[in-house]
Amino acid sequence: MRVLVVEDEPTIAAQLAEALGTAGYVVDLAENGVDGHFQGSDENQPFDAVVLDLGLPRMDGLTVLKKWRAAGRGMPVLILTARDNWHEKVAGIDAGADDYLTKPFHMEELLARVRALIRRAGGHASAELVCGEVVLDTRYSRVTVGGQTLTLTSHEYRVLDYLMHHPGQIVSRSDLIEHIYAQDFDRDSNTVEVFIARLRKKLPEGVIETVRGLGYRLVAP
Amino acid sequence: MPGGGKAPTIALRGSLRLRLLLGTLFWIVASVMVAGWALGGLFRQHVALQFHAELNTHLDQLAAHLAVDAGGRASLTAAQSDPRFSKPYSGIYWQIDRVDPAPGALGLLRSRSLWDDVLRLPADTPRDGEIHQHRVTGPGQAMLGAVERVVMLDEVPEQPGRTFRLIVAAEERQMVEPVERFNGMLWLALGLLGGGLALVAVIQVLIALAPLRRLHAALAAVRGGGAHRLEGRFPAEVQPLIEDFNSVLAQNAEVVERARTQAGNLAHALKTPLSVIANAARGKPGELAVLVGAQVEVARKQIDYHLSRSRAAAAVRVPGARTPVAPVLDGLARVMRRIHAERNLDLVVHRASMSAVFRGEEQDLQEMLGNLLDNACKWAARRVEVSLALDGGELCFCLDDDGGGIAVAERERVLNRGERADERGVPGTGLGLSIVDDLARLYGGRVELTDSPLGGLRVRLLLPAAA
Repeated sequence: MRVLVVEDEPTIAAQLAEALGTAGYVVDLAENGVDGHFQGSDENQPFDAVVLDLGLPRMDGLTVLKKWRAAGRGMPVLILTARDNWHEKVAGIDAGADDYLTKPFHMEELLARVRALIRRAGGHASAELVCGEVVLDTRYSRVTVGGQTLTLTSHEYRVLDYLMHHPGQIVSRSDLIEHIYAQDFDRDSNTVEVFIARLRKKLPEGVIETVRGLGYRLVAP
Repeated sequence: MPGGGKAPTIALRGSLRLRLLLGTLFWIVASVMVAGWALGGLFRQHVALQFHAELNTHLDQLAAHLAVDAGGRASLTAAQSDPRFSKPYSGIYWQIDRVDPAPGALGLLRSRSLWDDVLRLPADTPRDGEIHQHRVTGPGQAMLGAVERVVMLDEVPEQPGRTFRLIVAAEERQMVEPVERFNGMLWLALGLLGGGLALVAVIQVLIALAPLRRLHAALAAVRGGGAHRLEGRFPAEVQPLIEDFNSVLAQNAEVVERARTQAGNLAHALKTPLSVIANAARGKPGELAVLVGAQVEVARKQIDYHLSRSRAAAAVRVPGARTPVAPVLDGLARVMRRIHAERNLDLVVHRASMSAVFRGEEQDLQEMLGNLLDNACKWAARRVEVSLALDGGELCFCLDDDGGGIAVAERERVLNRGERADERGVPGTGLGLSIVDDLARLYGGRVELTDSPLGGLRVRLLLPAAA
């Protein structure tokens, strides 16, 4: 899962990147509105969620959000701002935000809200994603099979997390690459196959199907 | 007596209308009085002149008819032409006294109208040709106006000159009565004139001051939230005041907006570093991290409290603000459904009375309802309901939830600054209710906490409605 953080205060941005990274997300940073808008508008770089500050240099957050929505970019957006007027909250939600959190904030609450946004965007009501015996608890980044906890590397977790959010759907290799790597990361499409192979060893047989020429699909056996 | 003289001064200062009316009435009364006095005086003078002119005519006639015979006896060669001289006590009399020789003989010759009375004039010796006027008491104690002259007859050569005093007198009543009649008519006419002028003055003052009444109504509309500025054209003397007042209103609104922006900027400036500090300390071991975490929380509460207060204090001083309720509630409901999406609540906004208008700033209404709705959504189990009733000039919002409610004993306490009903870990500053209560009180409204029919807490928010 890939999250774009648009925040001009470098310390907060670093704290967010660290916390989100620890929680298993791939984080891209933008330090002003223009850059944030550019990154969020790139159709080749789909984000699963955006954490957006409002008081940004060069272009304010509300304008960025309105431009995204006008261009049909529908990813869930959480506004993170010090502006705590209800007036501004209404304006933010009406501009197309999906959630609104005011500073100072508890990092745990931010993570919970981002998690919930991504989950709801995929049509999941619960924090636990279930596929047969495989259960992924988004709250604790924990995967169990038949009640036994699996030990996964962060990249393995990200691949499984993305597949669990899209059960039954064909997920292309490029989709997976876009959602498990940050933009400036040196990508190697072969590594996806390596992660899939490792996951297949750890998961029950037949959970990850290969759809020839198209990609992978998660099925409950 | 400083106290004794104050009341009329204040009344005079207090009312332009009274001031103008009293001033005008004073001049009307003074003019009527002076006119009456002057006209009455002139007429009295005129009548007196006529009275004496008539007496002089009779006196001349008397002098012309006076003759002395060879025996030295005086007699009249012809009767006086005025028949009233022949009618007893008719009110007009003549009398001839001999002065020289043998003075003292009063009433040598008298008009028949004197009957057996005589006229007693003060001792006086007018020179030849002079006519003197006197006031004497005549028959029946009537006051008489009298004229006298002295005539010396020396047409009989062998007798020394004989001197006679000729008197003609008439009752002053003849002079006073027309004057009194005239004065009666005069004062009646002047009274009517004064009354008419006073009536015109009242109408004029009312017409001249009518724009002030319109101004009063326009100001009341601004105060009552019915208008943002003073509307309408006023007379040239008042219009500059209206324009000045409108520019003050506009400036006021601008100052409030600037204060809001500055408060927001301050919040942003302080809260971002607070976030950094809090997040850096969180999860770290040691006393320092705990201390930093706690103090950041205190600082955040203080900032929230004082920013809300400053925004609120600035807001209610803008007169003429009015805010339709429905768009505010709808906007807040959209926000609540998003930020409390995880709680899967039924948030119901009842549409009755939703066309109502709040007499105040939009942002303040949003702040009050936003905090209350946010609280309700935090504590509700499944359901939150909002309804609005219009009671006289008051909007009555009811926010119900089906949560745990607040014990009766606790309700007063949570309206105080910084109090939380409990510490169940639901995020919030604990300032929500007290900020709402403060804001509502600034608008002359209030917050009441009661039991909800849904089982939880009912918050009643009472605010002034716009006309």
